Amino acid sequence: MSIIYVLIPIAIFFVAMGIWIFFWAVRSKQFEDLEKEGLSILFDEDNKPKPSADKDEP
Amino acid sequence: MGDLKCFHCHEPVLTGDRFTLQIDGTAQPFCCAGCQAVADTIIQNGLADYYRFRTESATKVAAMPAQLAAELENFDQPEVLADISRQQGELTELELSISGMSCAACAWLIEKQLKKQPQIASVTINSSTQRALLRWDSKALPLSQILSRIAALGYQASPFVADQEEQTFKQELNRYLKRLAVSGILTMQVMMLAFGLYFGEFTGIEKSHEGYLRWISLLLTLPVLLYAGKPFTVSAWRSIKARQMNMDVPVSLALWYTYLASSYATVFHTGEVYFESVCMFIFLLQLGKFFEYRARAQAREATSNLLKIMPVTATQLTDSGPQATSARRLQPGDRILVKAGETLPADGIVLEGQSSVDESMLTGEYRPISKMAGEQVLAGSINHDGLLTIQVTEVLAHSRLGQIIQLQQQTLSQKPKLVEKTDQLAKYFVERLLVIAVLTFGLWYFWWNPDRAFWVTLSVLVATCPCALSLATPTAITCALARLNRQGILIKNAQALEALPQITHIVLDKTGTLTEGKFSVESVEMLSTAYTEQQALNLIANLERYSEHPIARAFAPYQTAAEELQQVTVSVGAGISGYWQQHAVRVGSASFCQLSRTVSGAMVYLTINQQPIAAVTLSDRVRPEVPALLASLQQQGYQLGMLTGDSSSQAEQLASELQLNFMHKGCTPEQKVTHIQQLISEGKQVLMLGDGINDSPGFNAAHISVAVHSGADLSKNQADVVLLKPDVSLLAALLKGGKTTASVIRQNLGWSVGYNLIIIPLAVAGFVSPYIAVIGMSFSSLLVVSNSLRLLKK
Repeated sequence: MSIIYVLIPIAIFFVAMGIWIFFWAVRSKQFEDLEKEGLSILFDEDNKPKPSADKDEP
Repeated sequence: MGDLKCFHCHEPVLTGDRFTLQIDGTAQPFCCAGCQAVADTIIQNGLADYYRFRTESATKVAAMPAQLAAELENFDQPEVLADISRQQGELTELELSISGMSCAACAWLIEKQLKKQPQIASVTINSSTQRALLRWDSKALPLSQILSRIAALGYQASPFVADQEEQTFKQELNRYLKRLAVSGILTMQVMMLAFGLYFGEFTGIEKSHEGYLRWISLLLTLPVLLYAGKPFTVSAWRSIKARQMNMDVPVSLALWYTYLASSYATVFHTGEVYFESVCMFIFLLQLGKFFEYRARAQAREATSNLLKIMPVTATQLTDSGPQATSARRLQPGDRILVKAGETLPADGIVLEGQSSVDESMLTGEYRPISKMAGEQVLAGSINHDGLLTIQVTEVLAHSRLGQIIQLQQQTLSQKPKLVEKTDQLAKYFVERLLVIAVLTFGLWYFWWNPDRAFWVTLSVLVATCPCALSLATPTAITCALARLNRQGILIKNAQALEALPQITHIVLDKTGTLTEGKFSVESVEMLSTAYTEQQALNLIANLERYSEHPIARAFAPYQTAAEELQQVTVSVGAGISGYWQQHAVRVGSASFCQLSRTVSGAMVYLTINQQPIAAVTLSDRVRPEVPALLASLQQQGYQLGMLTGDSSSQAEQLASELQLNFMHKGCTPEQKVTHIQQLISEGKQVLMLGDGINDSPGFNAAHISVAVHSGADLSKNQADVVLLKPDVSLLAALLKGGKTTASVIRQNLGWSVGYNLIIIPLAVAGFVSPYIAVIGMSFSSLLVVSNSLRLLKK
């Protein structure tokens, strides 16, 4: 079981990384609007005018 | 033709196929030139995805008057721009408030369109607050061009200056998020290690492994206690210094005592460790605080867009002619010019000109008030039709508008009284708890068993840890806030939730609250048989489209077909004239239409070739849901009354129609306050429902104030509760919500106090080992939290 002497510090390192990333996300205002980003995946990045067959808006 | 809908705004198309556009090979109909132009812009720019993914229909677009477009250029003045933006190196940063946004697709649309400009470095749009943060090179691209680009998409953008307090709210909210993350993530780790230790107890664990896991837990708990738990420690320290015990004192005491005792056990390899309890407790408390704070921050954002009504620009008359300037730089004595449709930038006195102004923002009165030379005008009111020259008497910050804004901001930062009640309980509780803990330690140390003294005292502190007690009220309030918010009720002052069940009297405002607060056509009297009523109304509606006057809006629903009109002229405060099929038509007051015979009560007349055709009576209609709501409230035993500024007989008629218990008409705002204060001095608990700024003094006098959806923004700011939907019957939902919340809080407090009363004697006697105490504490906290969560469901 002495492996825990290695594994737990590695786990703590990843946890610290996770917290640092979260702080960065808060700092860069990613939590300001939680609604819009959820929908942004629906929109194409590049919109070429192409004939599209589907239309769901009445 | 009747069910043909506009492709852009989904409103019925009344103009046939006059406005159409080829989209994806199909001709789509539009209701007006405005919508057509916007859709054309969207399609041309390859943004047709908007129509595919939007979840709400767009708002109808009125074509922008050229004069407004010219007004946008005022923002390009360097000194105006400097007032509303921040300079960051080469780039200018500015916040915009955007109206007309209905869903996230709108935000995407605007972002996409603006990002095509190379001069714009970044644009982020928040669809929930309807604001945009823009960073661009202001030298290469003037602001007015950006604004007109947004206008071309059918939205109105205006520069917005967030107040200082909102900035601090935002920063604080971010701090809450970070604390939540630290306590949440680390609690998971400590919990995982604790499981290892729990199982070690049963199956045996090597001493060195146990010591290692404890040391790791100790290290991981430290940031939780020091960073995430800092607010509790700070607040406890402050309250001790002020000798005013609050709930944070026992909380911090339990946290630190538990942590230090566990550290002692870790260092000296004895006893038990409770690091996971420390972490869990902090996480749960932070979670509650975070949700409560977020609810308040949202309430704030929802109402602080009102600052955009603060006029930004003004046209100042200088020796060298009219000049655009920043409204904030106006000084008393300056002369300014206000065109029709503009918002007045300062309090002042009319020097020249005549117009009718809309002061509904300040007074709640929706009828336009006519102003002539020598009369006083207020900043924030809207100039309807004439050109006014005004001498400034007060700078913007000291204007009536500025004062009211300051006043209402002071009321927002009040601490909810309900939590104070728990604080009183805490004070009582903490003092006794400390005495008991000291006594327990003394008894065990000197008489019973000195070796166990430390651990028994610890179990007393852990078992009586006011976890459940301190969660009882905030969790219930948070859940109630969230649920009411979903129903469309925004609680801005959690104190209001406490007072709701005690309410006995409900005071209602008439105009805009019980009634719709706008003119609607009540009856039409035909003075000639040459035309039908429908034809006459349609003709009036077509003419009235040229006017922005509130009376004109009453006719909009009656437009059934578009008519060709020539030489239309709008006369200030009188009416509209024009030519229709070579006939001279006039719509307006009796004198404007040159009529000798008038119909009593009628406000609008129609003449064709000087022949009277129709007389229309306008009135303010009662909201459809009001009678049923009032009947059900009366059944529940509430006393209902009406306080109205209206002195006409319509007030009495309405009061008897709705069977109100009492009614006072012709009230000034001061009289409204007096009536409410009298009820309060008789020991009654009063709720006030209103809409205008004229109700806001009454709002302060009443125990609880509720502002309706259509109310003036300033009144929404003063109210404890804002109804977010145009539906007054939400009041019934609010009263019901208040009652359930109160009963859940009672249950929570009952349980946590009862639990502590039972466990204290057992702990003092040494029957409760610390880890049983932890299980008991966690269980009672969980019970309290899940009891509060019930509020979310119903």
